[in-house]
Amino acid sequence: MNMETTPPMLSEAEQLRQAIALGEVDAFLVGKDDKEKRVLLLAGAYQRYRQLVEQMQQGAITCSVHGDILYANQRFAQLIGVPLSQLYAAPLDGYVSVPDRARIASFLLVSARLSSIEISFSRRDGLLLPVRLDLVNFADGYATILVTPLAQQQWAAVAEDSLNLMRTALETLIRMSVGDGQAKRSIEVLSREINTLSRLADEIRQGKPSQT
Amino acid sequence: MNGKRLEMSADKKANGNGKTNGNAAEPVWELRLYTAGQTPKSLAALANLKRLCEENLKGKYKIEVIDLMANPRLAKEHQIVAIPTLVKKLPSPLRQIIGDLSDREKALVGLQLTPADR
Repeated sequence: MNMETTPPMLSEAEQLRQAIALGEVDAFLVGKDDKEKRVLLLAGAYQRYRQLVEQMQQGAITCSVHGDILYANQRFAQLIGVPLSQLYAAPLDGYVSVPDRARIASFLLVSARLSSIEISFSRRDGLLLPVRLDLVNFADGYATILVTPLAQQQWAAVAEDSLNLMRTALETLIRMSVGDGQAKRSIEVLSREINTLSRLADEIRQGKPSQT
Repeated sequence: MNGKRLEMSADKKANGNGKTNGNAAEPVWELRLYTAGQTPKSLAALANLKRLCEENLKGKYKIEVIDLMANPRLAKEHQIVAIPTLVKKLPSPLRQIIGDLSDREKALVGLQLTPADR
């Protein structure tokens, strides 16, 4: 269609059709009058943000004050070892360790006032996963919560301890001018701690839950 | 694109009224880009527009970015439906180009950028 020779309205409509067909727009303005005008985003506009939310290291869930899961990200599903599709509309307390169920119920009921608690989830494989729940947002009877595995923080602390031991041993080595026996023991400590750090780093990278 | 309006200009000679840049023979191009926050197409449109202007209108253009996510009512003036949309306010006639401006030739035709302008 030659847009130069078509009436302006038709030309604009054709241009809009082409832009949509070619995927050159990702939002529309909708609403019958100025007061109701709002931007409607196409799915593609959310894609990168969605990737960020799905793949971040923390779990994220939105659930009602009664504990029904409205939304969960992929990471949360991985953390508790349950397929994401099974989580929608499922009761959250079904994945919480029995001793903590009353606490999660209270947390959700008063979530507008309480910002965080520590509980344990019961993974599908039977392992317990200690986590910290942080309330991000509470509106319209729904709470959005970030789930941070405490095990990872504990591993990080262990790794830090190992590093400190290594530093001390290294300083000893540096200070020593004689005494091969002591040097040998320090080197052994360094070797052992390096192995520990290496193993922990691997586990943290793989996002394994606490098995200690 | 944090605010409702963001203006940028490569026109170092702009005289303030947005009509000319001091040289009466060279009009300043006033362009308004309607975006929706930082969606991929909005960001692409802004990047493509800046590149297009630098290549073809260096020193004689002004870009105003309107974020409709922040204030949808600002779309009224140009009856915006799809986002991103570029509006060429000056030089007349007023023209709209819908899309992310990824098709360079189409954008140049839409802006009515003739070789003499470049």
